[in-house]
Amino acid sequence: MDRKATLSSYIKDEIMRNPKANLRDDEDLLSAGILDSLAILQLVAFIEERFKIKVPDEDVVFENFQSIDALSRYLETQKEAG
Amino acid sequence: MYRFLLTDALRDWAEKTPDQPAVRFSGQSLTYAELEARTNSAARLLIDQGVQRGDRVGIFMNKSLESAVSLYAIMKAGAAYVPLDPFAPPQRAAYVIQNCGIRHLLSAASRAGQVYEILKEPVELECLVGVEQVFGRGLRSFSWEQAYAGPSNPPDLRLTEQDLAYILYTSGSTGVPKGIMHTHRSGLSFAEWAVQTYDLVPGDRLSNHAPLHFDLSTFDFFAGAVAGATTTIIPEALTKFPANLSQLIEQERISVWYSVPFALIQLMERGGLEKRDLSALRWILFAGEVFPTKHLRQLMALLPDIRFSNLFGPTETNVCTFYHVTQIPPDTDEPIPIGKACANLEDLVVDDHDRPVPPGEAGELLMRGGVVMKGYWGMPERNAVCFYRRPAPGSFEDVFYRTGDLVQLDPEGNYRYLGRKDRQIKTRGYRVELDEVEVSLHSHAGVFEAAVYTVPDQQGSNLIAASVVPHPGAELDEPTLVEHLKSRLPFYAIPVRIWIMNEFPRTSTGKINRRELQAMAVQNLNGSEFQI
Repeated sequence: MDRKATLSSYIKDEIMRNPKANLRDDEDLLSAGILDSLAILQLVAFIEERFKIKVPDEDVVFENFQSIDALSRYLETQKEAG
Repeated sequence: MYRFLLTDALRDWAEKTPDQPAVRFSGQSLTYAELEARTNSAARLLIDQGVQRGDRVGIFMNKSLESAVSLYAIMKAGAAYVPLDPFAPPQRAAYVIQNCGIRHLLSAASRAGQVYEILKEPVELECLVGVEQVFGRGLRSFSWEQAYAGPSNPPDLRLTEQDLAYILYTSGSTGVPKGIMHTHRSGLSFAEWAVQTYDLVPGDRLSNHAPLHFDLSTFDFFAGAVAGATTTIIPEALTKFPANLSQLIEQERISVWYSVPFALIQLMERGGLEKRDLSALRWILFAGEVFPTKHLRQLMALLPDIRFSNLFGPTETNVCTFYHVTQIPPDTDEPIPIGKACANLEDLVVDDHDRPVPPGEAGELLMRGGVVMKGYWGMPERNAVCFYRRPAPGSFEDVFYRTGDLVQLDPEGNYRYLGRKDRQIKTRGYRVELDEVEVSLHSHAGVFEAAVYTVPDQQGSNLIAASVVPHPGAELDEPTLVEHLKSRLPFYAIPVRIWIMNEFPRTSTGKINRRELQAMAVQNLNGSEFQI
């Protein structure tokens, strides 16, 4: 499964708790009310485990978590840096 | 100049310091003169569109400069503003609109989709501002530009301090939200107290972290305006990211911060506060929930030059007690006090028979005075019991609000909070009636029995969990129930886990043993992502 699909299915299954939900990669996860503080922490823990990277606190920002696209771009830069 | 209405401070500062920013949002601001002019114009539009004194007008938008415009415009039109949670399920927003008879709604283009969903429900909206789509049904729509286009002198309505100013809806134990009504008097009484107590001055920059439908926002907007200060409205999205928030506190040069403890704990643990220039910050105020002592001690050690204050009180009283935290002994995790009654309030602690208890004994806290609400919207039975009427000389009565909070006076004369008389809880600052969640679960046809309870979250707050026994033969799973609840409850009231069980553990008297369910839940969640 590619990165975006992995993120998307995690968000649908574990955060939205609705595997059948419609979720576009460019959907604003904050405006749509999908991510709250708790969900963001869950998502960070998942990303660290699944992609074997450390997400430092200063990277947990709106700009990186606004959408699946944004998260994927962020992970891309981390891969290159690592 | 006199101040009897929540809108009077804005009028005065627009004259005295017209160019001072009143509100800021994402780098943009409105000066006092601009805010006064825009709110006068928008109020005139509302009046032209049929808003009458005593009406209720809804606000349904993400936070923006228009949040501030909306609440003043509505009050200037003689109506009470009713902030709707922009993330609430459409059914719930529609319930509030029906419940208090909202006909006019101030909104924003970004909420057009949700407004469309709300209009599918049986609501009687006539006029919409901020969403230009034509929805039919005789609904009149205006842009914000149109709302600002009219004359900018104030409407002359001869309002009094006893007129309704706002209604805040909160979780209700019967399964539907209830509306807490505040007058200009009760809102302004709180704002005036806050300005004096925290020495707010025109140079101050206040944070607005809370959403409009939370009572914390009344401090941000109304105390800010009484002081002639600037209030920085923080976008909802940024409130979820501690690193963004700490940057905002630095860049906006926030001098008075006010939020729930959970936001401050997040800021401390993940916001990189130690790297920020917080030289403008002088007060950190918190309310909504108990601040776990070990976290507060840590935060105070990190920010030694900043003063801390605990504000306490249900939305029904705005705020009714306060405690300036000076020092926390290193060897105790005992919760800090909630302090003393605010000015213009009489406090009383009574037993189950409304008899005052001797100082130092536990009882329910009752409050009477300027900040107390008028009552719950459209709930005569509840209003009959939520006030205690003490006979007063001359055949009068002193009316106290029963807070439902159990307290005890300590030897220093400060109140300590012991808990609730009912099943109202706080989860990360959000107020929830566990009974409302149970009623919502029961409204699913497949549910035979439901029990909703809290589990501690290791952050000094609570999460909500639930257990359900299905009707014999009914097929039930967690996703189905979560979907069902999502159409009725705000996101923070949805249990983090719902366990489907064959039967519930019982006490010796046959009641559901919630304590055992709670213990099982703690066990089950242990080591999961929720124990962070």
